[in-house]
Amino acid sequence: MIWHIIKRELYDNLNSLRFTLATALLFVLMLINAVIHVQEHPERMQKYHDATTKSLNTLRSRTDLFSIAQEGPGNLYKKPSSLYFCEEGGDIFLPDYAYGIPRVQIANNLRAFWSLYYPGAFPNVFNIRPDTVKVDWGFVIGYVLSLIAILFTFDSISSERERGTLRLVLSNSVPRHTVLIGKFLGALVSISIPFTLAILMNLLVISMSRDINLGADVWIRLCIIFIIAILYLCLFIALGLLVSSSVQNSVASLVILLLTWCVFVVFVPSTLASIASGFSNPMTYDEYFKRRNQNIKNLKEEYVALLQETRGLPNKKIQLDSEYVTKGTEQEERLSQEQLNQQIAQIQLARSVTRISPVTLIQHLLEVFVGTGFERHQQFLENVHRYARQYREFVTDMDRADPDSLHIIGVRDGMSKKPISPESIPAFEDTLSLSRDFNAAAINLLLLVLFFVVLSFAAYLVFVRIEV
Amino acid sequence: MMLTTLIRRELLDNLMTFRFAAAVFIMLLLVVANTVVLIKDYDRRLASYNVAVKSNQEQLLGRRTYSISSWDVVRPPNLLSIFNAGLDKRLSNEIFVFYGFVPTWWDGQVHGSTNPLLNLFSSIDIVFIFEVVLSLMSLIFAYDALAGERERGTLRLVLTHPVSRAKILLAKYVSAMLCLLVPLLISLLLVVILLTTSTIVSLKVDDFLRIGGIVLSSIAYLSVFYLIGMLISAVIRRTGTALMLAMFVWGFWVLVYPNVILVAVNLAQPSQERLASAFNQIEQIWEEFDRERKDFLANDPIPGEDPHFGMEGGSGFHEIWYKEKSTLLYTYIAGSYINKLDDEFEPQVPHVQNYYRFMVPRNIDAAERTWLVRKQALESVFIRPAIVDRIFLRFSPVGMYDAATQAWAGTDLFGLRDFYEATRKYRRTVIDYLYDKNAFGDRRWFSADKGAVDWDGSPQFSFQRSGVHINAMRALPDLLLLLMMNVILFLVIYLIFQRSEV
Repeated sequence: MIWHIIKRELYDNLNSLRFTLATALLFVLMLINAVIHVQEHPERMQKYHDATTKSLNTLRSRTDLFSIAQEGPGNLYKKPSSLYFCEEGGDIFLPDYAYGIPRVQIANNLRAFWSLYYPGAFPNVFNIRPDTVKVDWGFVIGYVLSLIAILFTFDSISSERERGTLRLVLSNSVPRHTVLIGKFLGALVSISIPFTLAILMNLLVISMSRDINLGADVWIRLCIIFIIAILYLCLFIALGLLVSSSVQNSVASLVILLLTWCVFVVFVPSTLASIASGFSNPMTYDEYFKRRNQNIKNLKEEYVALLQETRGLPNKKIQLDSEYVTKGTEQEERLSQEQLNQQIAQIQLARSVTRISPVTLIQHLLEVFVGTGFERHQQFLENVHRYARQYREFVTDMDRADPDSLHIIGVRDGMSKKPISPESIPAFEDTLSLSRDFNAAAINLLLLVLFFVVLSFAAYLVFVRIEV
Repeated sequence: MMLTTLIRRELLDNLMTFRFAAAVFIMLLLVVANTVVLIKDYDRRLASYNVAVKSNQEQLLGRRTYSISSWDVVRPPNLLSIFNAGLDKRLSNEIFVFYGFVPTWWDGQVHGSTNPLLNLFSSIDIVFIFEVVLSLMSLIFAYDALAGERERGTLRLVLTHPVSRAKILLAKYVSAMLCLLVPLLISLLLVVILLTTSTIVSLKVDDFLRIGGIVLSSIAYLSVFYLIGMLISAVIRRTGTALMLAMFVWGFWVLVYPNVILVAVNLAQPSQERLASAFNQIEQIWEEFDRERKDFLANDPIPGEDPHFGMEGGSGFHEIWYKEKSTLLYTYIAGSYINKLDDEFEPQVPHVQNYYRFMVPRNIDAAERTWLVRKQALESVFIRPAIVDRIFLRFSPVGMYDAATQAWAGTDLFGLRDFYEATRKYRRTVIDYLYDKNAFGDRRWFSADKGAVDWDGSPQFSFQRSGVHINAMRALPDLLLLLMMNVILFLVIYLIFQRSEV
């Protein structure tokens, strides 16, 4: 019997105007998405490649341990995701690099070592073109697909009730939940068909391009993304069925659904984010520079005061220099880390609050599996920190390995003077791992499932109780 | 007489519906929540603006010589950005004004930003809420205006009375518009109340007029979508199909079109050759300047081309070349802040004065000539594409509405350009001030050893937003487009309705 209902729904839907329009819309959007990706992606990869090569070459041009230890690794770039077309994740608002160069001058001929600094990205300061949302899978799934789901389901029960055909169906010996499941699956299948086809077309266009290679793990990611998209679709179908069975007429049902959609999909993500981000006040840049200048000033004064005592004692002076180089480096890095942590905390709060909107959930999930956006940025920062540690360890190890060295890190005379082979300097490689991604996604996925279960259970309860 | 009866009937029909109540409720909720957030944000921006203005003033007063004087100006936040943010929060809001280069919006920087990562969240304004919700509501009101009555057969009933079809249309239109105006006006009223009760904001008469312009544009926008819905309703006989079509039209125009069209336009990249050739021209101007400068130094009684005049060692002479190919920034900054001059250098002082008297006017001149080249190049590389984008956006009523309200609020391209024009004018006054004081040939241009510069009477920057009539002029094309669309749609509906069989 359930097959019967599904089949009937399917036939109904496939012949309708909404099916044609939805199919056309999905295909056009996915095609545009693919064409843009094919055009832009090679450029993006080239840019990343050029930048990393340049930064690596500068790094490898240094041969003595002291300048390696002082100048640092230079710019560290974030590797762009090859699935950029799935979800852009606001990447233009995230800096695509961090840098490590020395910035503190302690005395005339004494500079602190390099420390990590995190630049901000202000793409809009010079950009006078209008704002747009990028047409990626995230947009198609989050906005368009959910709207289509609503337009397919708002009348699925209420209109049958209006026409009286629901009574007819229920007069057969069909349990009510079968009818509901039939309706659900009917809508699901009839939206999934054009969606799947559009996605396949999109992937076909992208994989036909000579410059883009999608590896095996990328396809696994794509499959996961597809499953998540279907889950998201189910959520909106369940919502549609819930409202459709609890409201008497179809127009009222549509109005409720559209308003709910507007509120949760269009407005909640930005409004709640602005409210939530108002709760914390990260360090402003003025404050940052003020504190930094104060720190440097204090450091200089302390150093000058202690320098008097070392007059005529070269050994002591080396010790002092080394101590202050370390101090300066640490304090610099601590301050920029503190600022970054405050900024990240603010964003994280806002992001977790906006998770009551399903579109935010799907965007976060896509970001995780695609490797873009905020979650990914934090991974990048972790990679950067790990690398920074590794780089500093490399310096101490090299120094320790040299018996002629005084092992006083921070001063040229105190460190190993052996030439370093360029290949042995660790290079920064930004990586992505799938198992980590699952952990990051788990809560969002659970929330999405939870929303779906609650909505479908509510739809079931309402439908079982309605009088026909 | 008949018309009023019809309108009354329609009004009662519409006002008592569930969809009406839901629309009003959601609108008010969204508008109030966002207005509170936006006012808070404006408050924060205003505070940071005041801090920046004060610190810039202090910075100027702390400068001891003319050559290192800094005249940085700050852009005040626009109160009406609450309605339509436009470019107000985006572009640079602090700019370095200096005789050696003509400022544009590519040379500024951002002050008062606490967390650049916050841009991850899109910010919304009142007009955006209207764009989405009002258009949706209009369509939901309109889709069954004709089709519904036709299906129920009441249309035939009405037409049996001696009433012209035009009157029926008009009655439907007027009554629906009256209904739709309720949520619009109430929410605007709430915004204004929230604005006036907030202590930091003071609205002037001009601002009320601008808000009036925004209201007018909103009504025109609302009406366009209502008429689109009505057109669908007149063409399509079944309400179900009409509703579907209306929803897809909405999705396409509000959600899809504005985002997709710009991507299509985006594929045409800015021309790098244009930038490169302009940069070459600019480079030549400055090379010529540099040559003249060096010639002068070579020919003056002090040997060598040294711009430090042998006064090195803590003298503070500096010279910097700023070059930025991507925005065609090219300038030369030179100066010094000597606090104490050794007696041995005293004989050189007249020569240094001569040099600056010669050099600075040429520096200014080179900057002016650079501006002529730069202006045209930036216009064609950056501004023209931005204007083309906006033209394409206008193929959707959303684009017209957005452009019109931005123009009223003064947050559009031209409103922002006013500010940069004011900074350029300010630069001229600064130069005039320096000429008046005969600053270039003055000892205090480079040295404060015989007393620092007294900044009394130095020009103050003030930015007056353009008058309402200019806002109106800028908004007029889009407003007219919206109104024209209204008229055309109404005529089309009338023609179709006149000929249709009931």
